[in-house]
Amino acid sequence: MPRKSHTLISMVTALFSLCLVCSTPFQAAATSVNPATPQPSSKKSPGSNSGTSPFSPNVVNPSTPAPVGPVESGGGHTPSPYAPWPVGKFRAHVIDGRTLQPLATAEVVIIETEQRLRTDADGYTPWVDVPVLRNPRYRPLVQELHGQLGAIAYKNGYRDSIHLGIRMHEGYHTETTIWMYRIGPGDVRIEPVLYEVPYHHLWLVELADRFRSKDQPGEGAERP
Amino acid sequence: MKRYLLTIFSLFTAGCGTAIAAPPAAATQTVFNTPTPSTVQVAIRENNPNGEPDPRGKIVWVQTVPFEEYCKDVLPNEWMPSWSPESLKAGAMAVKMFAWYHHLHPITIGGLTFDVDNTTNFQSFRYLSGQVDTNQAVEAIRPLAFTLPSGDIMELNYRAGYRNNPNWQYRNAQKMSQWGSEYWAQRGRTYLQILQFYYMDRSLFQVP
Repeated sequence: MPRKSHTLISMVTALFSLCLVCSTPFQAAATSVNPATPQPSSKKSPGSNSGTSPFSPNVVNPSTPAPVGPVESGGGHTPSPYAPWPVGKFRAHVIDGRTLQPLATAEVVIIETEQRLRTDADGYTPWVDVPVLRNPRYRPLVQELHGQLGAIAYKNGYRDSIHLGIRMHEGYHTETTIWMYRIGPGDVRIEPVLYEVPYHHLWLVELADRFRSKDQPGEGAERP
Repeated sequence: MKRYLLTIFSLFTAGCGTAIAAPPAAATQTVFNTPTPSTVQVAIRENNPNGEPDPRGKIVWVQTVPFEEYCKDVLPNEWMPSWSPESLKAGAMAVKMFAWYHHLHPITIGGLTFDVDNTTNFQSFRYLSGQVDTNQAVEAIRPLAFTLPSGDIMELNYRAGYRNNPNWQYRNAQKMSQWGSEYWAQRGRTYLQILQFYYMDRSLFQVP
């Protein structure tokens, strides 16, 4: 019985891994990292050769040396432990939400990789490589058109600012503007400010069309 | 005789009155006599509970945005920044001509006058959301306009269309398919060929 359940778990894991591996999407040719590159895996059994096997999860143990993606000159960042994922370039522009002036020396943390970046005098962080992560639960249904990334900006005297759902594209440069709000004397309950980037509407159109039935078409299929 | 004179006089005055009361013939707005707008008035609609601007939401305020910045803040929200450069340029032209036309035809709702709003009622706009690749596309078509051969400024409409498909039905409707623009760009078409495929009887003009 335990053997059967182990087999079942392996099959489910395999299916899930396959989804993750296949989620290399759309512009895979533009990426500088080959998703089929063997990856170190903390669950690798002796003799098995790799993360290319759909039976090993596409997860890298951060404590093991990871293949490093292309390092941006001048970026000065720590290589991401998620380098086997498709990567894109990312930077944040941090501004004061009231005056729209750039904020220097703010710290921006990329949630998925825990990379810490600091803004320059113009409010920009350096360009860094970040993973392009798509939500795996949507993969079998409709391929997402962009990955999503989260970032938190900190600066003394300002509310923390959390940005979620930043649209990422593998092999492309993505920039996001983070608004921060100064803490005033009247602020008694100070909590982070959240901004969620909405899904691109082209994907929403596809998603709705994907499940439309003939007997209840709603607004109907996309048309001119 | 006197009555005839009076009749003639009254007809004359009536004619003059009509001529004065009639609105002057509207000068056609062409790329030759209309400069590219410097700003766009964008109505910002309230967000739905998910934080996304609601196309049916109340207009909260009207934001004045520099014209090119408006185009840069629309393009990544209408086209995918990872698409081919020629598709992005075709999109940049459509976004620009759409905004230009509506700048010349503002509307007033609830006492607020604006050119466009920030939702898919017009074009999806997110302030300061420009991306490197889409900004380059907007800058590449900056000195150009794509409109009627007479130069009359007309909007270029577009819709999503279907992936991996030339979307011929959109050509028939004289609307560009966004997915179709990427389809043709991947097959080596230039942005001008893409525009000419979807919009018939249009010409490319140099604008100051």
